[in-house]
Amino acid sequence: MTADVITEPGRRTRAPFDGWGFVGKYGALLVLAALIIAMTVLHFHTFATKSNAINVLSQSALTAIIAMGLTFPLVAGDFDLSIGYTGSCSGVIACTLMVSDGFSIATAFAVAVAFGAAVGAINGLIVTKIGVNPLVATLGVGTVVVGINYAIAGGTPVALTNPLPFLHLTLGKLLGVPYPVYVMFGLALVLWLLLNRTVTGQSMQAVGGNPVAARLSGLHVDRVRVTAFVIAGACAAIAGVLLASTSGQAASDGADGYLLTAFAACFFGTAVLSNGQFHIVGTLVGVLTVGIGFNAIALIGLATYYQFLFQGALLIVGVGVGTFARRRAQA
Amino acid sequence: METAVKRHAAEVDVSPVAGNPAAVARPLLETRGISKRYGGTQALADLSLTVSPGHVQALVGANGAGKTTLIKILAGLERPDAGEIVLDGQEVQFHRPLDATKHGLSFLHQELHLVPSFTATQNMGLGYQHGGRFGVLDRRAIRRRAHEVMQRLDPQLDLTAPVATLTVSQRWMVSLGRSLMRTARLIAMDEPTAAFTEQECERLFEIIRGLTAEGVAVLYISHRLDEVLEISDDVAVLRGSRLIGRWSRGTIDRRALTNEIVGREVDEVIHQPAAARRRQQPVLEIENLQRLPRVCDVTLDLGAGEILGLAGLVGAGRTELARLLFGADRPTGGKMTLRGRPYAPRSPFDAIRRGIALVPEERRSEGLLLAKSIAFNVSLATMEQSRGRFALLSPGRLGAAAHEVIDRLGVQAASVGQPVGELSGGNQQKLVIGKYMRTAPSVLILDEPTVGVDVGARAEIYKIIRGLAASGTAVLVISSEFEELEICDRVAVMRAGRIAAYVTAPHVTKEHLTSLCYEAGKESDGPT
Repeated sequence: MTADVITEPGRRTRAPFDGWGFVGKYGALLVLAALIIAMTVLHFHTFATKSNAINVLSQSALTAIIAMGLTFPLVAGDFDLSIGYTGSCSGVIACTLMVSDGFSIATAFAVAVAFGAAVGAINGLIVTKIGVNPLVATLGVGTVVVGINYAIAGGTPVALTNPLPFLHLTLGKLLGVPYPVYVMFGLALVLWLLLNRTVTGQSMQAVGGNPVAARLSGLHVDRVRVTAFVIAGACAAIAGVLLASTSGQAASDGADGYLLTAFAACFFGTAVLSNGQFHIVGTLVGVLTVGIGFNAIALIGLATYYQFLFQGALLIVGVGVGTFARRRAQA
Repeated sequence: METAVKRHAAEVDVSPVAGNPAAVARPLLETRGISKRYGGTQALADLSLTVSPGHVQALVGANGAGKTTLIKILAGLERPDAGEIVLDGQEVQFHRPLDATKHGLSFLHQELHLVPSFTATQNMGLGYQHGGRFGVLDRRAIRRRAHEVMQRLDPQLDLTAPVATLTVSQRWMVSLGRSLMRTARLIAMDEPTAAFTEQECERLFEIIRGLTAEGVAVLYISHRLDEVLEISDDVAVLRGSRLIGRWSRGTIDRRALTNEIVGREVDEVIHQPAAARRRQQPVLEIENLQRLPRVCDVTLDLGAGEILGLAGLVGAGRTELARLLFGADRPTGGKMTLRGRPYAPRSPFDAIRRGIALVPEERRSEGLLLAKSIAFNVSLATMEQSRGRFALLSPGRLGAAAHEVIDRLGVQAASVGQPVGELSGGNQQKLVIGKYMRTAPSVLILDEPTVGVDVGARAEIYKIIRGLAASGTAVLVISSEFEELEICDRVAVMRAGRIAAYVTAPHVTKEHLTSLCYEAGKESDGPT
């Protein structure tokens, strides 16, 4: 058997330099690099400092945690609109347990995360067993979670009487770096391994890429999709509790705003080093790009509304250029 | 150009153009020297055919003879490589389906393109250019027209019922009704009666006669030769992508037509006796398996080391049977026994665990993740085997597994990290086979294993199949290319959801199988 029988000529075009392919894969990273270089040149003394770097990482940590969780349902081909509400409610639950029932920080944290995971499981079961569209199912479940939140706290912030130990959770530092940054990177490692080095994670990628082929390969499609929702819910709960810990009190809508930022980061991440697929490193880069952008806007002294302009433009340009470039590369 | 086409269509009338005496005998539609290639396969070669107004032109031929390609070209779904389409004596170019529709050609494909949740009326109104002002649908006009049309097709049909609640034949009538909403000049029907009862067939024929009496041309494609001979004014036979001949009504009988389709005198063509493998203890036994409408009553057994072929025409129920064996669908009746124990798979996972694997028909959509690497795809069904420390998947083991498949099956690839979408069809198919071979099945089912695979890779796939059988695997090969079933020890011919006949090794020839596929139940001489 000679090679020329098998390989159909013309199928694989091997250009000397695949320009569009390069842009599709590295374009988003170039945007990030350009941002960092420009800021380093223009605002060297305020931007390129260790304390500012730690500041950016620390501000990105909670978004990153919730966004990395959201990456899982997206990888499996689903959506989760309930993560913001789940995060808020988890914070309220943790604080209420500590205030009213005298739970320790660790136990309250664990119960809140279990709650987040349970919400994810319910999302997943409604989507897979009943077959409700994930957008609708998670929007519905999310609204129910808001109801639970109000039933527990009545819509008012739950403040701790002695917040110092709880505050220490996010304000505490190791080697000058706040704890949430360690949580972010630690979780990133665990979730990366989960997605790329476990049967469940690989199954998720298969289910998201081609559910029919996945099922015919003997994968448990439903189980895998539910697992993805559970991970998203648990991550949302972790972010929600840590958010409450930054101020020592849980607001009823504290984490709601993370939803859109998390989606933006995940989709921006599809344009990072992968052919339009969701992945952990991409999501992390997406969150950091948004974080550095916000930081730059603050350092330059632009008005707050530039943050929204930047985030929106980043999402459209990042994903748009990536999508366009990949299409050109394939054509 | 656009407007010219539109005006032309609007003015179209069934009656020939006045003042042109030649127009009376002029065919409605004519193809001149149409050719089409797909990769290395010639699908149609130099096909010239005419269809006259008021005539039923039948088109028959074995699987892969080129009928579907012709229909796709006429419908504007594919462009011919050479040749022209002539309508009313003028050459036309169909770039998209709408172009054919504008000229009054409508197509009833085997897969009906209806919206299941819409009512019959809504479906018939799709594409009906009778919108009121400002693009608002004139629902009353649509309802009136739909009622009018259905009155002649099937007055009993409830036009307000969602199409999902209608029977298969009723859905077909809705599709036909949709064609008749506008002025139809030619209606092509691809296997219309596949799901029809005898009475429904009669009803359809009455409708067809009514249509042709009004001057509509009908292009009738069917494997059911008795029906073809009954309804058509003229039969055209396609074989091996060419038009073999045309016979007008009454000039050919069923047997002669079968011979023309098959290409040789149909009788026992016996090769040199092959060394027929001695059949061993059956591995898989199937009794009265049923899942309507496609699988009616199948009894079959499969021995270790045997290559069993499953022949049949499109729609005979072969793929559906395979899905039942693999747990992709659940049977509604009958039972299966695997190595002496009851077997009722609830999912492909169950089937794979019990030792049955299916290489699916559509390798790109059902077998592979095209954007993912070779290593990812090859291990998809057997990831557990590649776990290393801490139960984490080991890239080294995944790569080794991929290398093993690549070496064993002779896959041509740059690296195990290469996305499978970049590989040729033959290499992709080998990877799908390799993926399921890794599950160490005792029964491997291959559905159309060589579709879109070049000649060299095809021979290699046959070699793989023989190797599997030699090592004791029971292999079930489903194929519409009957030549390739000559690799089988035994072939079961499936017809209308049942096993109609068995053919054993020396008698397995393309001609024999084709003729068995066409035998109508009552005329059959029984299995040989």
